[in-house]
Order: sequence, then structure tokens, then C-alpha cells
Amino acid sequence: MPHTLVSPMNETVVSASAPPARLQSLSGKKIGLLDISKPGGSFFLDRLEKVFRERYHVAEVIRARKPTYTKNAPEPVIEQLRHADAVVEGLAD
Amino acid sequence: MIAEGQIAPALPALQPGKPNLVVFFETDCPTCQITLPYLNSLKDSVNIIGISQDDESATREFVTQMRLAFPVEVDRGLKLSRAFDPQSVPTLFLLDKAGQVQRTVVGLDKAALNALAADVGRPAIAPEHDGMPAWKPGCGSRHLEPESKNGDGDSSIHFLRPTAERASRISVPDDVDPVEYSIDHFGDALPVVPPTIERVQKMLAACSVPAETVIARVPPCYGEATVEKIAANAVMAGCPPELMRVLLPLVRAVCDERFNIHGVQATTHFAAPLVIINGPVRQQLGFWSQRNVFSNVARANSTLGRALQLILLNVGGGRPDGIDMSTLGNPGKFSYCIAENEEENPWEPLHVERGFARDQSAVTLFAAEPPRGVSEHTAQRGKTILKAVAQALATVWSYRLCGRNEAVVVLCPEHVKSLHRDGFTRQQVRQFLFENTGVPLRHYKENDNGEGTQLASTYRRITIDGEPCYQKFRALESLHIVVAGGTAGKFSAVIGSWATGEQGSQMVTYPIPD
Repeated sequence: MPHTLVSPMNETVVSASAPPARLQSLSGKKIGLLDISKPGGSFFLDRLEKVFRERYHVAEVIRARKPTYTKNAPEPVIEQLRHADAVVEGLAD
Repeated sequence: MIAEGQIAPALPALQPGKPNLVVFFETDCPTCQITLPYLNSLKDSVNIIGISQDDESATREFVTQMRLAFPVEVDRGLKLSRAFDPQSVPTLFLLDKAGQVQRTVVGLDKAALNALAADVGRPAIAPEHDGMPAWKPGCGSRHLEPESKNGDGDSSIHFLRPTAERASRISVPDDVDPVEYSIDHFGDALPVVPPTIERVQKMLAACSVPAETVIARVPPCYGEATVEKIAANAVMAGCPPELMRVLLPLVRAVCDERFNIHGVQATTHFAAPLVIINGPVRQQLGFWSQRNVFSNVARANSTLGRALQLILLNVGGGRPDGIDMSTLGNPGKFSYCIAENEEENPWEPLHVERGFARDQSAVTLFAAEPPRGVSEHTAQRGKTILKAVAQALATVWSYRLCGRNEAVVVLCPEHVKSLHRDGFTRQQVRQFLFENTGVPLRHYKENDNGEGTQLASTYRRITIDGEPCYQKFRALESLHIVVAGGTAGKFSAVIGSWATGEQGSQMVTYPIPD
């Protein structure tokens, strides 16, 4: 006789969102840079901003910062980045 | 927003001559989803009118999923929202019989909700230890948004609903060993007991909460931990059914926002939740507090710790080959549960220090590194023992990083006996460790970029034994004293924390019901 088991796994249904279309070019775009507030993150993002502006001619760079790297970005931080064409998030030290 | 003392705008559903409670909410606001179900128990004492800022279909779905027991109407054109002008949702306006605003509650605010309940002659409706935060801000009111979203009800909203569907049943074919199947599909790296319907049923029979009740949503994937899911994982961990009594508050506690299990599960650090059990439940359910307390000595400790880990893996999704990014991991991720040896503790136990009565059983969680041993067998005096502990404490996180971390100090009975003999109280032990744990300034060199050195200008300077030092811990409260272990051997332990405080993980203690 087959055994019947009770699923111990997560069965919460979440709706998936389709990823936005990939940018064909950075030129003239609005780019968000999210600093998760790990030490050293700003050095990397400062450099990236310079590269984006000088080499890729982005129209605007939005700099946002999470209050702590240990938690999800709070709504006001997400709001800052909402209208960016693309966002770069620095994840570690 | 209309102020307390003002007469509220007219509203057809208001019952004149009676107290009314007008509640503005949005269906996709998590704070609204947490707050509104608390109001159900007020429905016989005050006329509640829910005002939804979303469309009919989203509102209907919200009322069903959140099991609201009071009438709700849709604020068409956001006219009522403009008239009452709440700045955010949820906002609750309690109107007295004359229609005057008597109390306003903004966001989730448990103290204010309980005060509101008292205003209408009801006992507290928002308990402290139900896993929800004491305070949580809501979302901006729709009528203040630049482009009104009213009418775009999103049918894909995932509600923080109080109940969920029963778990799926999985049929394992005859020719497959259910143990092997369970190891392959639901386990960590150790064998598990197959969660058969009969075994899960025994777990469910041991608690009075319905199987479909959502106890918490477990980060990082926010899976709904129903009582049934908890029971299935408890079966797999080998828990006796009586442990459900501890597991339910434990799952609530681990998902308490202050503990921040989302970060603990995802970090590259060593952190794992250390479970500390206090009170009469230790004897009642066989939690062990003596020799080998951190190891493989008692079914209650080992299986409770393992059940928690399986829930974090299977329901929370914090898998070690996925979102859990720990560089070296922690053996405590199999199981990390101790009980305090209150019988060998001449001072007050941990849960009493954290505000509970001695005869109240409680579970405490700390985002912990593995224990590091402190051997001190030759000291003649209590102070010398504490010096040895302080030297180990100085190495928590990284030797030269000060003021950022916390630690649990597990004192063994022999060390405690010496300290008690020398007249130390628990508070004096903590004070001594606080004042005597530091890093000498000579270990900070110019042009040295080692971890902790760049922040040295922010550290507090103290003198320890005549030597200028930076003080290791920010506050007395950074140190938590626990007595545990066997009566033979002078080995204590220091357990370092992960990131702490509001920027990291805070220790939480939940009562275990009798």
C-alpha cells in the first residue's frame, strides 16, 4: 500500500512578476544605485556612477541607501528607485 | 486629518447615539492586514465601519481572506478619505456617542489598540507575544497619492491571512522507502521521520489550535507556517507531540520582526538561532540543562532545535544550498537548544531578568555564533574566573571591533559556585564583565585597516588593570548571563552575536503557555 505523507514544505502561493525588458543601451537612461550600507559599498558605487556617467552617458543616477544591510529595503527607499530604468544593488563588503 | 475632539464628517453607516469606529484601510497594505483582524473582537461593543480605499473585488477578497467580522464599504472616489483625511492607513477613528473623535490610532500600535478596547469596555485585543510587532507604520493614504490608484485593485495581492489551506498529501509509491523519500525531498542532510498522516495527526491532537491556523510567515520566503506544517516538520525532527506546546510560541518568536530571522537566515555570518528554555516546562517536557547541555543528550532539546531548523528550511526557504549564504555555517543549524540550569543558579534566571515570573515557562532566542569555551580551573577567586571570561568576550565578532555586538555568557555551575561564594550577584557579574572587557589601544596601529580599526574614534575609552583600552561592549544589556552545564568541570562558554539592536537582531523572549 502506498504511504501518504503530509507535505512539510512551503506551499504559499505567490504571484511571479515578469522581469522588465533588458535595456539595450544605458545612454540617456535613469539608473538607480542602491547602497545596502555595508562598509566599502559607497566606494564601489561612487566609481560605478562615474563610469555610468562618463562612459555610458546615463541621463541620471539616483543614489539610494538602505538603513541596514540586515533587513529588506523599507518602502521609502523602494520609492526612491521606483522610476529608475535599471537598478544596481551592491550586495556585499 | 480630523483631530481628536472634532465632530466627524457624516457617514451613512454611522449609528447615531452609539460609539462608532471608522477604519480606513488598503487591501494591499501589510500593516492593514495585520491590524484589522484584531478589531473582530470589538464588534459587539462598538459599531465598526471599515472603509476600503480599493475597489469592490479587492475589498471582497480582503474581507474573506482576513475573516473580517464587521461591515466594510468601498470609498468610491475616495470621498470619505478626503473628508476624514487620514495621512496613512490603517487609521482608526473612535467616535463617541456625540460623533466626536475620541481617539485616533495610526498604523499598527498595540498599546493604542488596547487603550481603544478599554475605551469601549473590552479587555486587551492585541497581545504582546503573538509574533506581531508592537508598532508598525502603515502605507500612505490613497487620496494623498499623486495618481489615485483607487480602482486598480490588484487581484494578485498575497494576503497576510489568518488561516491557509491544509497541506498537500503526497502519495509515495509502494516500491519507494518513505524514509528515503523524505530525506530526498524534505530533509536537511540527516535522516527524518516520514510525516505520515497518522503521525501528524498525533501532533495536531496535542495542541488546541486548528491545523489551518497560520502561526507566522517564515522568512526569507515568507512561507505560511500553519499549525499543520509545523506539526509535519516536528514529526520529521522526531519531536514527541507534547513539544507542540513549545513549538508554536517558538515559531512566533523566531518570526518576531525584532529577531530579524530574514537577515539571520541569509547572512554570510555564522549566526543561527540559539533557543534557551526556562521555567517549569524544563521538567515537564524533559529539557536538559546539565552536562552536555549543548550536545546530544536529551530528546526534547535536540528535536525542538531540529524542528525549528527544518521549519526554517522547508517553510522559510532558508536552504544552505540557496538563500542561506553563511560562509562557514554553524553546527547549531542542525539543532541549537539548551535549557538554563536554574537549580544551580543562585541568582534570577534569564527569563525572570527579561520580565517573566519564575514559574512562567519561556523561550528565548539569540542570533548566535557557536559557543567558544573558557577553561578556568586554577583560579582561586571569582574575579579571576571573570577575567578569563572577559578575555574570551574581547574576541567576539572580531577582536578590534567594539560597541557593535552582544554575547551570551554561559556560566558553568562550578564557576557560579565560586562567584556566589565571593558575593557576586548576577548584576555584579555583568557589571564586572562590562567594565573589564576591552581591547588595549596598543593593538590599534596607524595605517592599519583591519576590521574595527576604522571605527576606533567612536569607541569609549576605559582603563583595565592600568592599561588604556577601548570598551568592548556598548551597554550592560549587551551581555546576557545564563547558567548551564554539569556540576563537574570548570568550563564556561561565551557565545557571540550577529549584528545587533534595531540594525540587526534583538534577543526575544516569549511565554510558553501551560
